[in-house]
Amino acid sequence: MATAPRFFATNKKGENFELKADLNSEYRDKRKETVKKVIANMTIGKDVSSLFADVVKNMQTEDLELKKLVYLYLINYAKSQPELVILAVNTFVKRVLLTNSSRISIQDSDDPNPLIRALAIRTMGCLRVEKIVDYLLEPLKKGLKDEDPYVRKTAALCVAKLFDLNPGIAIDNGLIAILQDMLSDRNPMVIANAVSALQEISEASVQKDIFVINDALLQKLLAALNECTEWGQICILNSLSGYRPRDVREAADIIERVVPRLQHVNASVVLSAVKVLMIYLSHSFSDELDGTIVRKLAPPLVTLISSEPEIQYVVLRNINLILQKRPDVLTQEIRVFFTKYNDPPYVKLEKLEVVIKLCSEANVDQVLSELKEYANEVDVDFVRKSVRAIGRCAIKIPAASDKCVHALLDLIKTGINYIVQESIVVIKDIFRKYPHKYEGIIPALCQNLESLDEPDAKSSLIWIIGEYADRIENASELLEHFLENFKDEASKVQLQLITATVKLFLKRPGSAQDIVQRVLQGASQANDNPDIRDRAYVYRRLLLSNPQVAKAVVLAEKPPIELETGTVSESLLDELITNISSLASVYHKSPALLGGSSFVDMSQYRQEFADGDDEPEARRSIVQEAAQAMGASGGVDNLLDLDFGTPAAQPAPVGGGLGGLDMRIGGPATAAAPASKSGIDDLLSLDMGMGTAMPSLGGVAGVSVAPLGGLGGFSFGGSNTSPIMSSPPGSARISLPKTPFLQPASSQGLDLSGTFARRGGSIMLDLTIANRGTGPMSGFAIQFNVNTFGISPTAPLTVPEPVAVGASVNVSVPLGTSGGVQKMDPANTIQIAVKNNFGVYYFQTQIPVHLVLVDASAADATAASFGGLWGDFTAASASFAVLGAPFGDAANKLRANGLHVVQQSPSSVQAFGKTSNGVPVAIEVTPSGGGVNVSGRSRSPEILSLLQTSLEVLLR
Amino acid sequence: MGAVFSSLFARLWGSKDVRILILGLDGAGKTTILYRMQIGEVVTTIPTIGFNVETVTYKNIKFQVWDLGGQTSIRPYWRCYYANTDAVIYVIDSADRDRISTSKEELMAMLEEEELRDAALLVFANKQDLDGAMSVTEVSEFLGLTALKMRTWTIFKCSAKTGEGLTEGLDWLVNVVQGGKK
Repeated sequence: MATAPRFFATNKKGENFELKADLNSEYRDKRKETVKKVIANMTIGKDVSSLFADVVKNMQTEDLELKKLVYLYLINYAKSQPELVILAVNTFVKRVLLTNSSRISIQDSDDPNPLIRALAIRTMGCLRVEKIVDYLLEPLKKGLKDEDPYVRKTAALCVAKLFDLNPGIAIDNGLIAILQDMLSDRNPMVIANAVSALQEISEASVQKDIFVINDALLQKLLAALNECTEWGQICILNSLSGYRPRDVREAADIIERVVPRLQHVNASVVLSAVKVLMIYLSHSFSDELDGTIVRKLAPPLVTLISSEPEIQYVVLRNINLILQKRPDVLTQEIRVFFTKYNDPPYVKLEKLEVVIKLCSEANVDQVLSELKEYANEVDVDFVRKSVRAIGRCAIKIPAASDKCVHALLDLIKTGINYIVQESIVVIKDIFRKYPHKYEGIIPALCQNLESLDEPDAKSSLIWIIGEYADRIENASELLEHFLENFKDEASKVQLQLITATVKLFLKRPGSAQDIVQRVLQGASQANDNPDIRDRAYVYRRLLLSNPQVAKAVVLAEKPPIELETGTVSESLLDELITNISSLASVYHKSPALLGGSSFVDMSQYRQEFADGDDEPEARRSIVQEAAQAMGASGGVDNLLDLDFGTPAAQPAPVGGGLGGLDMRIGGPATAAAPASKSGIDDLLSLDMGMGTAMPSLGGVAGVSVAPLGGLGGFSFGGSNTSPIMSSPPGSARISLPKTPFLQPASSQGLDLSGTFARRGGSIMLDLTIANRGTGPMSGFAIQFNVNTFGISPTAPLTVPEPVAVGASVNVSVPLGTSGGVQKMDPANTIQIAVKNNFGVYYFQTQIPVHLVLVDASAADATAASFGGLWGDFTAASASFAVLGAPFGDAANKLRANGLHVVQQSPSSVQAFGKTSNGVPVAIEVTPSGGGVNVSGRSRSPEILSLLQTSLEVLLR
Repeated sequence: MGAVFSSLFARLWGSKDVRILILGLDGAGKTTILYRMQIGEVVTTIPTIGFNVETVTYKNIKFQVWDLGGQTSIRPYWRCYYANTDAVIYVIDSADRDRISTSKEELMAMLEEEELRDAALLVFANKQDLDGAMSVTEVSEFLGLTALKMRTWTIFKCSAKTGEGLTEGLDWLVNVVQGGKK
């Protein structure tokens, strides 16, 4: 019986220890066996890197098998043992020159066997350890000039690897030049590899003249194209795709040589050839040539569609791109893309995409009958996509819309739940495309009211009911049906219900008054989803303020929708076309996102994202971008939200976008228009504070004028109409009154307002912190995002803590201009994060640009620099009047505010200034009528317009 | 008894090798000695970055001879090769008086190693063909070889260039190895 201690007392020192002993065995066979074991361990992921030195000992051997095994090990572990790699160098490199030639060489890169020479060079290239690069140069150079083509072609690729490791060494030692010479090698494989290496090098290099195709080279490449292996062919085709022929003749010549590749058995060669042809098509040399190409393109693609499903998928993804670029390529071939019963799902879905792309008036009947077939299949996902495809046909081909709608009605009659729901979703789109054309089918849709259980379908049907509320007799009953479970519905459905009820009310005010009141009441008071509350509030205010305006907003004419045929944007499409047959064209993502040249940027980006402190910053900027994009485009994408969103979503003014963001960081991001949110945010706090009868306040005004003039009246920081606080004495520049940065409602009781000032030569951020929350606040800190002027705090935010409930304190944060710089829009935007013991809050504000003007000594303000800028006609100029501003002390005011007067006369004052990021501005003030005229010049029109805002305030 | 036979058979028909290390400072002539022993010719060498390993057959014994690079950067890795070593050939550049003390330090550090406890030591006072080369006695004194305890050792003067002294060294090795293995 074993006793307990024996379980722990073992003399085994682990497998690696045993392997180590065996690697140093006195017997060759045993050593070889052990190396095999080590490799086996390596391949299954065990760490055998500790055996490096011992494995390398077996490297010098006549036994090719053992040598290959050791090389395999070396390649795998060289990076983890960079120090020890030096032990392997001698075996690769060293030449022993004998006094007589009885023995030519003993080292691998000089071995009489070309396979071993190539193997040595290939392995050397794979080691990727900078330390040994110097030792490897000599054998590599020899390899490039080797008599055997196999060695030369291996060495060619090795140069690219070396360049990647250390570009300097590769260039300094003339390896690139040797590679360029190799383009005229007599062996096509060597040419192909040299092309491949040079392409890779020129992509990675700043020099763009490393690989330039000229006449002679072109001929060589075309000749080699026919003779080399498939890898070589792909490589040469890639290089041809990057070459722009000078004229039609040359293009025709190249195409003539490329077209036979379309018959190659290897799908990758075929697709590479397709790529070349597609790119030449986009150069559009002549109609005749283009016609030839288009004719030649179809058959190989059709052939590929009958290969293995995996290849089919890749080809289909590429065809998708090709069709987007050239819809005429496969018009005759639509039948090929009809799915077969045994196609894997991923192929089916891709085929469906292609079919819709190819669908035209001529073949729509055929397509429709196919799609109807598909709708009876068992795969739910595919059936849904098919139903959706019918809708897309209807939108794409107006002539066929009747047939499509009938097909959809037939499908709805089947009563199969998911088909019905999907049909309703697509019918909603059809209604958008052809308003008032198919109202007759609404009853049929409404019959299925009970069976709907998906939010998408429900909200679609509700949208239809709301949109046609005046035509549907029992619209209010139908809505009532949904309203019963209002609280349990998905937020999407709730939002849609609110909108639909409001529409109903506007269309038939009599019958729906109590519904609308109930819905708005319920949504605004008994709902904890901020989006829904907001929407209810907006409608409520809208209806209260002016029903006519409400009508104009809610029942506005919607822009027509179009079929989103393009799956990728134009610019991305062009990029992807040049990457046909690559991973990028399968994923439909820019190659930069999949690695390659901009990979570094991505990783930096990710790191920033992962970093704890920065994360909210990054997320915020993403949200902001998304919000801006939404505000700007607001177009056809989202049907459900549009009817309210579009009119209010004027391009978001910066101050406005922010309020929405503050709320969003906590809550779920939805597609509601962000610009309108800020108004509501403000409005909420108003409700709490002082009621609604304050017409001058931005929030209310903002919403009621929204449909007419956007949200222009509303802004958080730096409002240009605010009165001047007081004339500060001494060197202090004029600053604006404090504006609210954070509303207590959205920041757990932190009421933060502040303004920028400049005192004693440095910029300050004056803050008033008031605690309107429920507990004392402490742990304050402040951080600035990178901004145009590099403004950042030079000292931490020190607040006398804790700030008791109801108390408020005034603090100043000194700022410097040495922080991170990034162009903001508008340029004086500053994003700030403030932290306390309750959380982190973000806001953005704008710094009046005169505060960032540097002092006279630093600005180099002389009459000459003024004249230089004033005389520069390429600089942007602006001219405006400031009424009521006395000319008499204009000079003093300019002086006090960072603009340095270089010349002063009774009729004009000329001043020069420079922002902390080095943008000079020149200003001339002349008296005029009741005020002054100001003309300005700067190379940055944006700075100039921001300065105008400042001057309008400070000259008064 | 059986063990004796099997090791005998192994030596006669098997591929068991006697492991020899050639160590010494850079430029002492290790690689030249290796190839002089193996093919009997003087070769032109470049500094060894790493190692050379060759099989030298002498008097029916297969020596697996490891020639390790002597540069400062590679010396730390000598220890990787100590395991199962039967003998160490330590090569001294007899003409290099400046670095003889460095050479001694390396030698002593090496002899401290547990793995080399049973290894025989053969010191070659190389480059005897050069003018001003130290004599065997001088080298031996500098290295303090006489103070070595528990070590089978010897020192030969030699010249890899002329071939002088190498055979004597190998003969000694054969003796030691055969004596030790029987």
